[in-house]
Amino acid sequence: MSAFSYSRDFEVVQRMRPEPATAAECAAQALVGDLDFDIFKHKMHMIALEGKETTMKLGASTAMRWGDVAFGVFTAQGDLAVCATGIYHHAVLGQIPIKYVVKHWVREPSVRAREGDAFFYNDPFYGGVHNADMGLAVPVFHGGELVCFVGAAVHTGECGGAEPGGTSPLARTQYEEGLRVPPIKIGEDFRLKEDLLNMLAAMTRDPRTMILDIKARLAAARIAERRVKDLIEAQGREFFIGALRKILTVTGEAARRRIARLNDGIYRQPRFMDTVGTGAGLTRINLAVIKKGDRITLDLSGTSPLVAGKPVNSFFQGIIGLAMVYFCGWLFHDLPANNGLLEAVDWRFPEDSMVNAGGEVSTSMAPVVQVCFTQGMFLCGARMVYGAIPSHAVAAWFSGFAIPVYGGFNQFGDPIADISPEINATGAGARPDMDGVDVAGAFFATLSDCSDVESTEADRPFLYTFRNFFKNSYGHGRFRGGAGAGFGLMVHNVPGLALGAMGAGARFPMTLGVFGGYASPPTFVQYVEGSNLGGLMADNRASRPGRLDDVYSDVNPELGRRSLHDIAMAVQVFRTGDTIYFGVGGGGGYGDALERDPQAVMNDLRDNRMARWAARGIYHVVYDEASLRVDHEATARKRQAVRDERRQRGRRYSEFMRDWQQLRPPAQALTYYGEYPDSGRSVEQAPAAVSL
Amino acid sequence: MKLRITEYLDIDVAREQWCCNRCGTALISARENYKHGCLIAERPMEEVHPPIVAAGDYSFRFDPDYCRLLEFYCPGCGVLIENEYLPPGHPITHDIELDIDALKLKHQSGHVG
Repeated sequence: MSAFSYSRDFEVVQRMRPEPATAAECAAQALVGDLDFDIFKHKMHMIALEGKETTMKLGASTAMRWGDVAFGVFTAQGDLAVCATGIYHHAVLGQIPIKYVVKHWVREPSVRAREGDAFFYNDPFYGGVHNADMGLAVPVFHGGELVCFVGAAVHTGECGGAEPGGTSPLARTQYEEGLRVPPIKIGEDFRLKEDLLNMLAAMTRDPRTMILDIKARLAAARIAERRVKDLIEAQGREFFIGALRKILTVTGEAARRRIARLNDGIYRQPRFMDTVGTGAGLTRINLAVIKKGDRITLDLSGTSPLVAGKPVNSFFQGIIGLAMVYFCGWLFHDLPANNGLLEAVDWRFPEDSMVNAGGEVSTSMAPVVQVCFTQGMFLCGARMVYGAIPSHAVAAWFSGFAIPVYGGFNQFGDPIADISPEINATGAGARPDMDGVDVAGAFFATLSDCSDVESTEADRPFLYTFRNFFKNSYGHGRFRGGAGAGFGLMVHNVPGLALGAMGAGARFPMTLGVFGGYASPPTFVQYVEGSNLGGLMADNRASRPGRLDDVYSDVNPELGRRSLHDIAMAVQVFRTGDTIYFGVGGGGGYGDALERDPQAVMNDLRDNRMARWAARGIYHVVYDEASLRVDHEATARKRQAVRDERRQRGRRYSEFMRDWQQLRPPAQALTYYGEYPDSGRSVEQAPAAVSL
Repeated sequence: MKLRITEYLDIDVAREQWCCNRCGTALISARENYKHGCLIAERPMEEVHPPIVAAGDYSFRFDPDYCRLLEFYCPGCGVLIENEYLPPGHPITHDIELDIDALKLKHQSGHVG
């Protein structure tokens, strides 16, 4: 063993930007012509895309089957150069474990990296998110020289720990999160090591899925390895190494040019989270995006401290990973998605904060923390880009998760533990020129799918009582957010199932609008123990709830012990016939709702995407209730009256602040916040972190 | 010359003023938080997020102990320039603090957009 401390490597996780180019890379990329480079990029993307598709086709977990898959080609130093992904952060974060392998194992005599090896990891300190996110990468050799790595990172739905389903709202420390594997060699000589597979299988509730997912990643990586070798045979090793490096070089240059077009300034968005796992509590993620010249700095100063004993913390590298989701998907959507983009980005994280976890704290619900942060990126980004690229200034997609987690045995007696695919059924944020797309996917996994219900029912002990658009699930505005999905699940064909929920946003919005657009509504769950719904379905009762708004109707005929619960819910035992209802939310709104085309409001009424109270009270459209015909003149008069009323009601800043500053959340809500609101200093009074 | 900054905000470069994009009303110095030049109101949460479930902690209305909705209007035309969901009493965010000198330089040199 050489110079290895058996503890976290704090140095390697800092290396998210491209490594300095080697002399060989510099010399090689200078020889790559423009035309050959374009053809190379296309071929490499096709190789990565084939890797992604293969992983999806062969995998077993929900996320893998429905596209939350990142497949990447990494340089020999571990930098992500090419990726095909529905989930950018896993691709970007996947480079840290590979750099760990390069640093610690390639030359370590007891490990080494040879042709035919495979490395596995799921430690969130290196993967960046949480334990359920697992990856596998293989080194690719040509002529005895390590030329690159290829690999896949995907959420496998179960990782052991205190609760099933990969996320534990009850986890108090990292030791209750389950499987935690820093990069290890899991295969040699083109074979997986059965003793290690056996160990990994023994540490989760769903060994079949665990093993199939590992094999799916490996199969995809082996195909990509063959394609890369074919390409090298055709064009030469030096060309390959140079062209791969050149992708990073040109990406970094393009990112800096894009940033330089934007207006210099500081763009701020404090984000607030309302859950600490199983209970309520307010925390703040305080984002400032400082743009100067061709660089931006993400400054998280003023974020709430570590939430000790609760799982709502994140490693800083996971926050950068989620920032890359915004960069790859929105700010730089037309540039190659790789860590060359980070050549234009710096970051600052306060020590011992909930976005810079340390010690033994749990990060099991880091995904919630990270999507909460990403909302801030959308909002700061919209304000930053509008002046130069207005079409990029969009409201945020839904960010509250609001999905079931479960574990037990399915209808065939097989052990299962996972999440449901509706994680990918959220609405997109509204745009400057159109409404958000309904049930578009997930902002962090835009190429994913939410499955058809029959596929889920085929091997999961659920009966979907309905799944369709969730009325009013979006933020209103001149353009509204895309609608989310509402669905009901009945535990079916098994005696019982451990079932809970993951998400946030019951008390404070997780999904905000922009430029006057409103937030998406709260999310929570309803469940009914001892439900009579099975009987109502057997009787074919037409009045049974067929949409989420029916569930909350006064005339809902479903009877049983009804409970409403925070969307973050520890698992509890559900019996056969019990039901649970979720609303996966829609996107944030854009602009003043009074500017929405009245006919678009009527279309939403007609399509059952919106309630009549919103047509009257948000959009102030005057229309005939029966025919939905708009009275345009009356609507214009009504809207002008509302604008006049705003001017009557609104107060000047100093006058407003006299009363506003007297308010404060109750002490119980601030248990985990830190000093409220900001160490006695307002956000806007805080000195700029970077002098402009 | 006015530069478009957001859907509802322009900056009059010569006068260094935030202006409403819809009606042209000058709000405040471009070196200040534009929200200080707006009319501000706390919008009753139930008007935008009405409780649909009758009672209890979960009703489709955000919890007023955790969250309030502020709106910022143009004093000239009443357009909703921006809103902000904040915990009670939390400072209003200075969400756009532009480097006005850099903006003027960029504009004068023709490198806009």
